Amino acid sequence: MKHVLVLFTLLVPQMAPAQSNTAEEGLAAWDRIYQVTSSPRCANCHVGDNNIPMWSGPSYGSTRPHGMYIDAGPSRIGAEFIPCSTCHVSSDRPNLTPHSAPHIAGLWHLAPVEAEWFGKSSNDICTQLRDLERNGGRTAEDLVDHAAEDAIVAWGWTPGGTRVPAPFSQAEHVTDMRIWGAAGQPCPGD
Amino acid sequence: MQLTVNGTAYQVDVELDMPLLWVLRDELGITGPKYGCGIAQCGACTVHVEGMPVRSCQLPIGDLEGEVTTIEGLGTPDALHAVQQAWIDHQVAQCGYCQSGQIMAAAAFLDLNPDPSDQDIDRALSANLCRCGTYPRIRAAVKTAAASLKGA
Amino acid sequence: MGRLKTIARRTFLIGSAAIVGGVAFGTVMYKRPAKNPLLQDLGPGAAAITPYVLITQEGITLITPRADKGQGAYSVQAALIAEELDVELDQITVDPGTPSPAYYNTALANDMAPFRSTDDSIIAEFTRAVLDAPVKFLGIQITGGSTTVPDSYEKLRMAGAVARETLKAAAAKVSNQPVDQLTTARGAVHLPDGRMLTYIELAATAATLNPVTDITLRDPQDWRLIGKPMQRIDIAAKSTGTQAYGIDIRMPDMLHAAVTLNPRRGSVNSYDATTAETMRGVRKVVPVTGGIGVIADNTWRAMQAAKAISVDWGAAPYPADMDAHWKSLTDSFTDDQLDSQYRNDGDIAGALGNAEPVSAEYRAPYLAHAPLEPINATVLVTDARVDIWTGTQIPRFIQANISKITGIDADNIHVHVLMMGGSFGHRLEDMVVRQATELAMTVKGTPVKLTYSREQDFAQDFTRQIAMAQLRGTLRNGQVDTFDLGIAMPSVIGSQMGRQGFPAAGPDTQIVAGAWDQPFAIPNYRITGYRAPELAPISSWRSVGASTNGFFHDCALDELIHAAGADPLAERIRLCNHAASRTVLETVGEMSNWGSKLDENQGRGVAFCLSFGVPCAEVIEVTATPAGVRIDKVFAVADVGRIIDPVNFEAQVSGGIVFGLGHAMNCEITYADGAAQQSNYHQFEGLRLYQCPEIKVRGLENGRTIRGVGEPGVPPAAPALANAIFAATGQRIREMPFNKYIKFV
Repeated sequence: MKHVLVLFTLLVPQMAPAQSNTAEEGLAAWDRIYQVTSSPRCANCHVGDNNIPMWSGPSYGSTRPHGMYIDAGPSRIGAEFIPCSTCHVSSDRPNLTPHSAPHIAGLWHLAPVEAEWFGKSSNDICTQLRDLERNGGRTAEDLVDHAAEDAIVAWGWTPGGTRVPAPFSQAEHVTDMRIWGAAGQPCPGD
Repeated sequence: MQLTVNGTAYQVDVELDMPLLWVLRDELGITGPKYGCGIAQCGACTVHVEGMPVRSCQLPIGDLEGEVTTIEGLGTPDALHAVQQAWIDHQVAQCGYCQSGQIMAAAAFLDLNPDPSDQDIDRALSANLCRCGTYPRIRAAVKTAAASLKGA
Repeated sequence: MGRLKTIARRTFLIGSAAIVGGVAFGTVMYKRPAKNPLLQDLGPGAAAITPYVLITQEGITLITPRADKGQGAYSVQAALIAEELDVELDQITVDPGTPSPAYYNTALANDMAPFRSTDDSIIAEFTRAVLDAPVKFLGIQITGGSTTVPDSYEKLRMAGAVARETLKAAAAKVSNQPVDQLTTARGAVHLPDGRMLTYIELAATAATLNPVTDITLRDPQDWRLIGKPMQRIDIAAKSTGTQAYGIDIRMPDMLHAAVTLNPRRGSVNSYDATTAETMRGVRKVVPVTGGIGVIADNTWRAMQAAKAISVDWGAAPYPADMDAHWKSLTDSFTDDQLDSQYRNDGDIAGALGNAEPVSAEYRAPYLAHAPLEPINATVLVTDARVDIWTGTQIPRFIQANISKITGIDADNIHVHVLMMGGSFGHRLEDMVVRQATELAMTVKGTPVKLTYSREQDFAQDFTRQIAMAQLRGTLRNGQVDTFDLGIAMPSVIGSQMGRQGFPAAGPDTQIVAGAWDQPFAIPNYRITGYRAPELAPISSWRSVGASTNGFFHDCALDELIHAAGADPLAERIRLCNHAASRTVLETVGEMSNWGSKLDENQGRGVAFCLSFGVPCAEVIEVTATPAGVRIDKVFAVADVGRIIDPVNFEAQVSGGIVFGLGHAMNCEITYADGAAQQSNYHQFEGLRLYQCPEIKVRGLENGRTIRGVGEPGVPPAAPALANAIFAATGQRIREMPFNKYIKFV
């Protein structure tokens, strides 16, 4: 966790735009955000109410449910069956061993069911993200913080093993979230 | 660093990234937890940390927080845990190498979910591999253990 | 029992301290018995009445020389001795004993002869007897081929009976009571006046007597243990984490080792261990056969250091990629490569000439054994002797090989066989022992435990054979009329025994095992074995040749039966010409309620394979769900002649089915650039709990001889699944693993 924050401070441009961005800039930023949110690193754990994480992306071959019949349950942390933390331990050491269970300095878990992204369209994800009812009551600024500070989000860019990281960099993603927020969170379907 | 396993405190001098499994097996001589795959695919190394199941091959010792219980601490041949008793009653083990992990996973599961359905059992224990194919008896033993724990 | 009695008289050497418990030394040529290895280190008050029973002042030890890989061999062997010895299993300890010619395996040789296990003809029996000879001379103490029970069934009961009668004679001497007034129970001789003398008390006297060999084995109806549910002697230890496996052994000052080995099984051109040598805990970096070893003070440190060695590996001594392996097989269906044609009934050429044949081609991949305990060996070398602690099926080979490496006489190579965390044939190889010895020789006086990482275990496995089959068949009047199957594979026995320095001569029966020996009467019926050139190194994998051939033969038969429009079960029964096998098929039909209606998206398949003398039939029911095929139920029937322990019988058949299904569904080892592409269980998963169907097993006892059950449950599983998938979906899968063609849920 500490490492992540230090890294973040070094990388994130501190000249965040004070003025509003145009809707056009916002939509361009959203487009990049969508590439991140729909990448396997994020979407695999932003799944719906079947509570089953996915294995997709180049290192998994074909798209399929998480192996071993894993079901994170309504708790979204596996408490009903086998806790995610059984294999995805809490550690801030880098993920070095190929094919082993990735870890973060925190509790491995599925995103809340309202934030279902897997297989969803750009507009679906976009409208969910700006909907306070469905995004955990997060303002645009809160979303920037989430992108910047949550350990499980940061893991998307340092997944280790042979996993392909989320596109762009975490710093670029945070900037995009900021631009998108400043532009009034425009969505493609608006 | 210091760690507590099965109620006993130990002092070890190891690299912080050494997995708990190898600290247990090679430094402390606690060999109930088994090395099977090293990548959280088989579950043979499962222990409890503060009662929660953990693949000890995945946990760097430097990140251990809390007391460790291994199969040896769950119950002994003279004082069996209900899950172990059920495993004996159903004669689950063939080679037995995966069974420490199976039993530790089952015990933790029944602690969290005392009244599991058949489907729940499949969800909970499919991350533990058995190469001998003892699965039908594992299912039966988990049900027996659940009933016995409820009655207890 | 009269015959046994006679053999026993001939067998036991009278009037000498060297007493042998094996009945099979009773022929003229080999009547000089092997030395009883237990007599070597006998202390005062101890008796080793046969090589299988050791009584000291500490207790009674039963020697169970066939290794326990999880199949319950120790318990079964102990029960056979205990039945006649009149001890209970809670009174004894078991010990695998030291490797000794006294413990050679006769049953294994029987199955090497090219006669159907259903063939009782004089020539078949004669050939089995001749093959027995080299096995005896070599003193091969091997666990494999489902031979533990067949080999032990009479031998161990005889050993128990000899020991019991000798103890009674000792009691008669001590008490001055006539022997016929004495009885035995729970490890003691009971005198007419109600007193009893324990076997332990009697041991010293018994040791001075000539063993009593005029014995009669008990009538099966008087058995206390055999045939009744038993509790395995290792079950409590295996449920409490207290069972010690080879990997668990610990000794004072012991060092730990790991290896990095050429994934292409070639040479080491050069290596750089500069980093590894400086890593914490590393004591030594040592070249070993096939690569480089690291000796350290902890297994994990040794493994980390082994990974840090950079090596320039030589090329593979076999084709680098799979295309070439398969081409080698497709090119092998020629007269030049002909290995055997043990079955050639009717007029194949005539029959095929008259009709457009049904033809099909089948494939089966290399498979790893991948038992959950990675292979390991602990070795202590001193100037005078070598001690080896390991889970192995071939202790005698190890003795010979380590003697060669160390220059120490084989008598001073002590192999301590430990419990194995699975094998499936993996521990029929001893490379790990050689490497551990090479490491231990550099730190004489200090034990070294070498543990393969899981990745090394996969990369260095001597896998199951790759194999291919070609079918041509014809039908007549709704019946199968011609069945012509050619099978090509490299020789397993050639590869495996070649590594032990025994060139295999003549045809390899394993190339056609599970196919040529099937009990069917098809008018035109031919099975041809083609020996492909040696490719990647291969070894015995649970059920060996039948693991591929059972799939080929039964799926081919199923295709022809469907093409003929016949019922799969009824046509197999009609064609079957072996009574015990027919009953097996009929019974599985009855158990599975064959012919009853299933849902629209369900299917039912039957398969049959006679392997290791055991007819086994399995019926599988599957459902084709939108997400993939689900295996719902398996019904299995096997006839082993006599069931020693119904609990373990069920476990072995059921486990064999899970093993057969899992590999058929999703496992293969493939080579790219000469190296196996699968490195761990994420790429070689097998069956997990959620995919495990409901399995119902029934055992029959109609067979003429007693047979082992560790393997026969495996071969019918894959074809029964393929046949069920065809029934449910119309899709005929002819290549394993099936997940190349279909999804499973």
